Amino acid sequence: MGERVPQHIQNQIIRKFCETNRLEYSLSASEYAMKNSYLMLEEIINEKSSMNGIVFYSLFQLPENKIYRNNIYKNIIKRKKKIFFSVENFKLSSKNDILELEEIWDVKSVLPSCYKGY
Amino acid sequence: MTSYLDKKDIHLSKNFFKKGYFIQKVSDLKSLKTLRKAVVNSLCETIKVKMKKEKDFDRFLNDIHNTIKIKNLNNTRLNILNSINSSSEFHQKYFEVAKNLLFSLVGNELAMQTRVNLSIQLPGDASSLLPVHSDIWSGDSPFEVVVWIPLVNCYSTKTMYILKPENYKKIHSKFKKYAGKNSSDFYKNIKKNVEWINIKFGEILIFNQSLPHGNIVNSEKETRWSLNCRFKSLYSPYGDKKIGEFFKPITIRAASRIGMNYSLPNLKK
Ligand SMILES: [Fe+2]
Repeated sequence: MGERVPQHIQNQIIRKFCETNRLEYSLSASEYAMKNSYLMLEEIINEKSSMNGIVFYSLFQLPENKIYRNNIYKNIIKRKKKIFFSVENFKLSSKNDILELEEIWDVKSVLPSCYKGY
Repeated sequence: MTSYLDKKDIHLSKNFFKKGYFIQKVSDLKSLKTLRKAVVNSLCETIKVKMKKEKDFDRFLNDIHNTIKIKNLNNTRLNILNSINSSSEFHQKYFEVAKNLLFSLVGNELAMQTRVNLSIQLPGDASSLLPVHSDIWSGDSPFEVVVWIPLVNCYSTKTMYILKPENYKKIHSKFKKYAGKNSSDFYKNIKKNVEWINIKFGEILIFNQSLPHGNIVNSEKETRWSLNCRFKSLYSPYGDKKIGEFFKPITIRAASRIGMNYSLPNLKK
C-alpha cells in the first residue's frame, strides 16, 4: 500500500522480530514484483510443511482487496498457522485479531480522503 | 463562526490555547490507582522485592533511588514498560483516566499510541534527560496531544517544563537566529519564560506537544515517576508516526464503520 523499504532492511527487521519473540526463522521469501502478485504468499500458506507461521515486514503488505485479505486470514486460521507483522508488532491467530487488524486497514484506507495539510 | 461546544468544552479549550496545557483532578481514581499498582507490581518483580501495600506506594516510588542504581535504571524501566504494554487493560484504564479531557479537546473518535511511555528520574541523574524539544520537530503530528500522568507529586526540578504559547509565538518568528546553534543555546534563551508544571498524584496533565518542553536534572530529594501517551483524532493528519505501527484506533463509531465498509452497488455485469 505505497510503502517501500529496501528488502535487506525488511529482512533485518523480520530477523530481529523473530529473535525478540523467540520464533525460529527458517525461510525468507520475497513476493514477485508484479503489482498485486501474491503468488509466493499463496504458495507458503498452502504448503503442508512443518512451518507454523509467516512473519511479514508490515501488515500493509497484505492484499489491498478486503475479500482477498479475508480469505488469507481464514486460510491461515484453518491451517492453524499464525501470521506476524514486524513493524506493527502484531500477531494474528484468532478471529478477534482479524477484527482488530481490519480496523487498522479500514482507517488506513480512508486516510487518503481525509484532511492532510499542516 | 458556528460553534456548538458546550460551556465546559469552551472553558477547557480556552485554557488549552492560552496555557498550552490543562491539569485536571482525576474523577476515575480507581483506574488511576490500577495504573500505579501495575507499575509498582512490575517494579517489585524486576528488582525482586516483595510487593508493597498500596498505602506505601508513594514512599516506595519517591525513594526508589535508595534501591536502584543509575546504571540499572534503564533495564528496570524497560522491564516495567514491557510489562505494562503487554496488557490491553492497562491501555484501556489509561484512556479511561483521560477520557473526558480527550473528548473535549481532541474528539470522540480517537487513536492512541500503541505503547505507553514511562519516565523515571532519579535525583541527580543526568542520563535520562529530555533536552528542550517540540515533538513535531521529530516527526509527530501537530494534531496529537500528550496525556501525562504523574505517579508521585511532581514539582520544581522533579517535573517537566513547557514554554507558554505567547512566548513560543515570539520565538517562532525569530527562529533563524538559532541556525547553527544547539538545544542548550535554545534552552538558555527560553529558560526565564518556561513554566514548571506543578502536579500531584491524582491529577493528570494534557499538553500541547508542539510547544517546546523538556526537563532538567532532578535536584529534589525524591524520584519522579510519570507515564505519558499520545492521542489524536483518528482521521486527522499523521506525521511520521502512523496508524498501525504507532497509533491504534480505540473509539471508532458506528457511522464511521458503516462508511468505511460501504461500496456503491455495482451495475456492471
Ligand atoms: Fe516531548
